[in-house]
Amino acid sequence: MEQNILLVNDLRVHFFTRRGTYKALNGVELIIKKGEIFGLAGESGCGKTTLGLSIMGLLPRNAAIITGKVLLDNFDLIAPLRDFAQKNINNFNFRRSENIIKKLNDKLVNIRGKKISMVFQDSMTSLNPVLQIGYQIAESFIVHQPNQLLKRKLARVNAKQNQLEEILDMLKNGASEDEVVAFAESNGLSGIEEQVINVWRRNDMSEANKEKIIMSLHSEKLGFFEKIFVFSNKNKAQSLARVPGFSRMYKNTLIKEGYRKAVELLSMLEIPNPDRVVKMYPHELSGGMRQRIMIAIALANNPELVIMDEPTSALDVTVQAQILELIKSLKGRFNTSFIIISHDLSVLAEVCDRIGIMYGGRIVEISSKEDVFKKPLHPYTQMLISAIPTIESQDLRGIGGSVPDMRNPPNGCMFHPRCPYVMDICKTKEPKMLEKDGHLVSCFLYGEDS
Amino acid sequence: MNLLNYIIRRVLLFIPTLIGLTFIVFILSHVSGNNIILAEYINPKLTGAARQMAIQKLILEFHLNQPVYIQYFYWLNQILHGNLGYTTTPIFSGPVVNAIELFLPNTIMISIVATIIIWYLGVWLGVFSAVNRDSLADHTIRIGSFTLYAMPIYLIGVLLIIVLGVYFKILPFSGVVNPILVSNLPWYVNGISYPTHIILIDAILHGSWNVALNAFLHLLMPSITLALGIVAGIIRILRSSMLEVQDQDYVRLARSKGLSEHSVNYFHAKKNAMLPVITLFGLTVAGLLSGAVVVETIFNYPGIGYWTTQALLSSDIGGIMAATLLFGLLLVAANLIVDIVYAFIDPRIRY
Amino acid sequence: MKINMKNQRRIENLKLSLDVFLSNKAAVAGLIIVMLYVIDAIIVQVAPSILGIMHPDELIPNFISPAPLPPSWAHPLGTTYPGIDLLKSILKAIRIDLFYSAFVVIIGAAIGSVIGVISATIGGLMDEIVMRITDIFFSVPYLILALAVGFVMGRNLTNMSLALVIVWWPIYARYTRSQTLSTKESTFVEAAKASGVGRLKIIFKHILPNALPPVFIQVSLDLGSVMVIFSTLAFIGFIVTASVPELGYLTSLGLNYVQSAPWAVIFPGLIITIFALAVNLLGDGLRDVIDPRRRS
Repeated sequence: MEQNILLVNDLRVHFFTRRGTYKALNGVELIIKKGEIFGLAGESGCGKTTLGLSIMGLLPRNAAIITGKVLLDNFDLIAPLRDFAQKNINNFNFRRSENIIKKLNDKLVNIRGKKISMVFQDSMTSLNPVLQIGYQIAESFIVHQPNQLLKRKLARVNAKQNQLEEILDMLKNGASEDEVVAFAESNGLSGIEEQVINVWRRNDMSEANKEKIIMSLHSEKLGFFEKIFVFSNKNKAQSLARVPGFSRMYKNTLIKEGYRKAVELLSMLEIPNPDRVVKMYPHELSGGMRQRIMIAIALANNPELVIMDEPTSALDVTVQAQILELIKSLKGRFNTSFIIISHDLSVLAEVCDRIGIMYGGRIVEISSKEDVFKKPLHPYTQMLISAIPTIESQDLRGIGGSVPDMRNPPNGCMFHPRCPYVMDICKTKEPKMLEKDGHLVSCFLYGEDS
Repeated sequence: MNLLNYIIRRVLLFIPTLIGLTFIVFILSHVSGNNIILAEYINPKLTGAARQMAIQKLILEFHLNQPVYIQYFYWLNQILHGNLGYTTTPIFSGPVVNAIELFLPNTIMISIVATIIIWYLGVWLGVFSAVNRDSLADHTIRIGSFTLYAMPIYLIGVLLIIVLGVYFKILPFSGVVNPILVSNLPWYVNGISYPTHIILIDAILHGSWNVALNAFLHLLMPSITLALGIVAGIIRILRSSMLEVQDQDYVRLARSKGLSEHSVNYFHAKKNAMLPVITLFGLTVAGLLSGAVVVETIFNYPGIGYWTTQALLSSDIGGIMAATLLFGLLLVAANLIVDIVYAFIDPRIRY
Repeated sequence: MKINMKNQRRIENLKLSLDVFLSNKAAVAGLIIVMLYVIDAIIVQVAPSILGIMHPDELIPNFISPAPLPPSWAHPLGTTYPGIDLLKSILKAIRIDLFYSAFVVIIGAAIGSVIGVISATIGGLMDEIVMRITDIFFSVPYLILALAVGFVMGRNLTNMSLALVIVWWPIYARYTRSQTLSTKESTFVEAAKASGVGRLKIIFKHILPNALPPVFIQVSLDLGSVMVIFSTLAFIGFIVTASVPELGYLTSLGLNYVQSAPWAVIFPGLIITIFALAVNLLGDGLRDVIDPRRRS
């Protein structure tokens, strides 16, 4: 039974600017299943990025959610924004909007970065230029799983050499990861399994090296202050953390451990020399590396859903291919769901299970990857597919007309001014999503209501 | 590695600027002819034959009978050996180096206190104002700092005197300390305290807590005035810098990671917003030094600013030239330190 | 036909700028206040007797009753030591402060801008030398440099202004230099060069129109700053003669009577503050008009 993890229902978002009100999203309907890679395609200005930001609740203060629900595991992420916009539609005050946004941000602190995360388009400007890479990754761990970090350190302190030898033997003999986890728990070393497995899985070093690293994980010494203030009792460590002098120590321990875990994460994503990379700053890395760092940050806490906004647009083709391979391998490992936003259908065709086509702030067709190319139903999709240059020389057909001005979108179906099959009903009524041949399509050609 | 390179390069740039500074002072002292050197370096206490001898000696030492460009090097030589001439002002008469030794510590003291106030008050108000944009608090802070920015520093000092000193009578506004308290102390002789020449610190070192408290109260008004004169500019810059930063992508990323509003604003955003403030810190040091001249005069606080005004009023050319050299040295050194600190904080400029 | 359209567009642009400016109430208030000061200065210069001022260049002491008196009908703003009527003195002082500060800013800006633009355009060794020279001027805090230079030249009003000009020009030199450099390297200049436009023409048609407007705004803003510094120098006693009508000097006269006669220090100081405030508001308003980015 497939589980749905995200439900977007009739989402409408308007932006108030000095040049008019932009109707960016006009009734988006979307369901994402657990473990699927969903591609969101469309031209510039169709609202793909806005949809991604709305799902995260990361809208600016001049945005109003006129109506709509975004349910992540049945929790409505954007309720406060929508309620505010609906009450104040006639006298929208930016300052009060900002206050609502701030309150929402603090409410979503346990969801963002943990259950749902986003990889943004421009990796150069999205990473904080004055902080080390390692810090920015470690921060995700510190905020969402501080206890796990402490457990790891404690496990290293308590682990004995012979116990590690046993684990190593288990792995060499083909033991599963669950068995290692069980072993660690039964010996009071939970926290060690993660570290051992992450090293064991690395592809960039010899087995001998991996053994060396694993064997070094035992009997770590605690600093004097650490012993008293941080680890005397895990619960005590939390409360002392509020006191100004000691919280610095607590934070430092977490940061150091976070850096270690960041190295493990980076090596899992096949970034070379992770120990050096964590100490570097964003501007010292190449675009492809930065993109992988952003993916690492998004995956740090094993979220259920990751939204990627144009993950490959700024990259060279070879790097693009590597990133796509990475995404494919990640899907297998953690059963994470992805929403990949791109204007490049060929990129989506590489990795996605289903693809949704967006136009004028609405999703007009959702179908499986093959069906989108072989049997496109919506007129817009058909024209998109035929506009893609292919190896067989055929006349490149552009689509007549231009992208609608979202300040004054057309009535009824957004595409009707450019549609070759336009009917009268298309000019007045909004088409709803219908099911046809395993697709979901929003077009009066296929019927009126579902 | 790059950090070290940068520091070395910066220090090397320091030297020609210093030389240029000495150049300016030298030219200034020679605008009205050769007699300046004599006026500056003659020990004022000498008279008659002793004075004539001293004049001859000076002519030889400074090679005053040779062309100007040669004189420069001998003069520079004297400077580097610590001979800065004499000063004759109502508060002090004697070698300039002694005057500096006595007065500089006090100026440093109020400058440091003022900097602490500027830093904490200015940064917090600037960030707070931007984070709570358009709120009542923000508008109040903006109007307040705008007005403060327009006020001459002497007016700020005078208003503080009227409000805090005369009307509410909570702070003293003249001198370093109440003279009655120090009249019988072994470590305070002739208006000079030992060993550091800063009464507050010496009192703490000697355990005279009531003197220390009184000295602290006395330094509050000058420091606060100095701080208020500069903090307005900092708040404006920081506020606009924060507003720019808040729209940046990395702030959005921090939110998407699940960081609290407080962490996003007061850590991620602030760190980047502070960069222009630190760049301008060199300018604020210039403001501190210039301000000290006015502030110490209003509050009768014996620092080098006070000495400079006295030198101006008593037409003491030696004092003025030495003060120019000293202030210039302080400013250039401060700029050097600021540049190095900035390199520590912003990793992008180390190349 | 073509010329007419160009002029029409210019008029439209001007109207738009005027609208943007007038909608900024604070800037308009600033403009009005500055105008008031200028009007006062002009009246005192041309026909001082209208305001009852007989000696526009001096302060008239009254040694019979030298102690400062509170505001009254005879002296609407009170008097300061020694018996000087504040209202009349302030009116006289506004003229002096305004004219001398304007002198400093305009001359300093002119000299500095010319040096800055030439230095950036020629580049090379001359540019390096100019940079080093401005560095040297910046190495001394402005107040002290003005003090020292003015001292050496002689401690009077005119020399105080000249000293401030010497302190002020490097700021403009640096400012215009960086403006010129960034315009020089911007793409549209490259495009002009690529299409074969001559070098001098580039300077006049492309570089200057972009570099100059910010300079004008900076000049208007600096008017306030210079007046503040000017009065600060006078306050600490730069001028030897005891009867120059100057706002900072007037403030210093009342300093000894701060406890008994606060009005003597508050009024002159307030007049300067109001001017600086007005000038800042005006400058901000002008910046909104001229800098196209800020309009949206």
